[in-house]
Amino acid sequence: MERTVVKIENLVKRYGDLVALDHLSLDIQEGEVFGLLGPNGSGKTTTINCLLSLLSFDKGNIEIFGKKMTPVSYDIKKEIGVIMQNVAVFKELTVYENIDYFCGLYITDKVKRKQYVEEAVSFVGLEDFLKFHPKKLSGGLLRRLNIACGIAHKPRLIILDEPTVAVDPQSRNKILEGIAELNRNGATIIYTSHYMEEVEQLCTRIAIMDKGYKIAEGTKDELKRMIKNTETVSIEILGLSPETRAQIAALPHVYNTAYDGEKLTVYCSGGKHNLIRILDILQKQDLSFGRVYSELPTLNDVFLEITGKALRDKED
Amino acid sequence: MQVFNAFIKVLKKKLPGSIIYVVVFLVIAFPMAMNTANDVDIFEADRLSICIFDEDDTKESRALSACIGKNHDLVELENNRNAITDALYYETVDYVLIINKGYSKRLADTQEQKLFSSYHMHDSYGTVFMEQFLNEYVSAVRAHIAGGAELFAAIQSTEEALSQETKVTYANFLHDDTNTDYPTNFSYFFQYMPYILISVLMHSLCPVLLAMNRKDIRFRTNCSSVKPNAYMVQIFAGSTFFIIGIWTIFIIAGLFMYGGLYQGKAWLAVLNSFLFALVSAAITIFISSFEPSQNFINLMTQVIGLGMSFLCGIFVPQSLLGDGVLAAARFLPAYWYVRANDMLAGKEVYDGTQFAAFLAIEAAFAVVLALLTLLIRRLKYSGANLLKVRF
Repeated sequence: MERTVVKIENLVKRYGDLVALDHLSLDIQEGEVFGLLGPNGSGKTTTINCLLSLLSFDKGNIEIFGKKMTPVSYDIKKEIGVIMQNVAVFKELTVYENIDYFCGLYITDKVKRKQYVEEAVSFVGLEDFLKFHPKKLSGGLLRRLNIACGIAHKPRLIILDEPTVAVDPQSRNKILEGIAELNRNGATIIYTSHYMEEVEQLCTRIAIMDKGYKIAEGTKDELKRMIKNTETVSIEILGLSPETRAQIAALPHVYNTAYDGEKLTVYCSGGKHNLIRILDILQKQDLSFGRVYSELPTLNDVFLEITGKALRDKED
Repeated sequence: MQVFNAFIKVLKKKLPGSIIYVVVFLVIAFPMAMNTANDVDIFEADRLSICIFDEDDTKESRALSACIGKNHDLVELENNRNAITDALYYETVDYVLIINKGYSKRLADTQEQKLFSSYHMHDSYGTVFMEQFLNEYVSAVRAHIAGGAELFAAIQSTEEALSQETKVTYANFLHDDTNTDYPTNFSYFFQYMPYILISVLMHSLCPVLLAMNRKDIRFRTNCSSVKPNAYMVQIFAGSTFFIIGIWTIFIIAGLFMYGGLYQGKAWLAVLNSFLFALVSAAITIFISSFEPSQNFINLMTQVIGLGMSFLCGIFVPQSLLGDGVLAAARFLPAYWYVRANDMLAGKEVYDGTQFAAFLAIEAAFAVVLALLTLLIRRLKYSGANLLKVRF
């Protein structure tokens, strides 16, 4: 039977006139990798800060492991690991000393802590860098150290707040693999990001946020089923006549088309063989075309259809 | 103890710079404290090496030579230009005086014609000294003649007047022989201590406090199961350990200069220095609450350390400072530290009540700074400000 690890009910957080969280409710079950997806400023980090009792909130209730979370809930905090996008380590201490320090904030028993630190070192693969100071580590190794500092005390709930921002693709993959392994080892994960690919790859359930609202929640398939679009067909083609485009738009299951003079995009809702039917029309008109590809909807399409804007900000 | 241990580990990385400060201070302080005692009450007029060629050879000119010979060393040289210039070049002689022929006659007639010729190093100390003496001598003789004295009697009166020794007294550096518990020379060691305490604490403690309170580290700590009070207590314990450690090093070093265990008023100087160590720590913690950069810390170390030292009488005795400077210095803790130290060293009459008042003012500075620090931290780290921190 699934147990609720985190329960957020009607959470409201205001900064003056700005409503940062607007009646947010979430239920996160044990063993889940729960994704909080949304653009910058959507309220992901505020949710995390409220969850950790680092921020007070105006209304609502937060329970973790079935107990009300307050700033003095040290027994709950003991079970939580936090990994931020910033590398939060002492540059004056070595890799080992850093992990030992942060683990020691939770585990006081020296023998147990030594074992935990060694396991964390092994988990992130920093065995060869134990005596290195952070400034001598590469960006990827630093991220691994950051993760080790957050998980060394073996928390049951791990919160990762955009841990892959400004990380190279190779290190990003390693981080994602590590998170999946932590989940396999029994930890419940809350993962915030504005990278939809990561969230799709990693998370078992996802909440999409915008302007403090939860605009959708479910598994990735459930989210995709919430929208009209089931397939997007793109064809590189020159000189497409309005009549041909109208013929394509009239096909069953096609609900929208777009053409920019070089590429035709056809949005389909349900149905099978949409691509073949579109190509048939083009061949009958004796039109030559370049690359053709068919895409299933992404979380960005979900976000786009619900909010009318792209998930990823321009600066990202 | 996890936070305390980390505090000490971070501190170790910051210590080398402070050790240099401590070593340089002790290396300078030892000889200063030792030497001042040996020559502070001895004054000796400088003696020059003078060569005189008496071309007049009268009893008046011989009287001048004898007068010069009483205060300076007379040197004999060959009377040729090469020998004289060589002697001046190699500094075997400071001044070569030629008493011109007709000196006594011109002196008696109070004529303005040249009485002397000379070979000398241009603008040297010896030249200025000697020419000042000759002017004084001739002016005095002529003053006596003008007063109706005979020439030789005038010369004798002049010699008598010039032979009187100058009485030299040492304002503020007077050695108090009765104050055996806290000798004046040893008091300089404690007098300079505020500068080094401020420098060392700001140079080492400030960066450690900044490292322990860095936003991202603090965030991680706040997320942990360590209670904020326990965290603060461990930081406080680490800071206290360091402050007392540094202060103890100076006090132990002082024992070697003192020549044994402190006695009487020396213990009061130790107490005074301990209070100032607390003031220095309060200044350091206050500065660190603004989360300054390393460059700013270095700048503030110099500004506060040197500024307070010059304004409050650490480097320059308070008796030599202007009233305006002293009035401004009253608003700085080092002023009261120096007043207390001067009182113990016998530069002021010792008054137990007043001494206690000086210590109380120092303690008040520490308390006010601590309260200001708490206020700043409360304003900075209140919940509303967390939003500004993008973790």
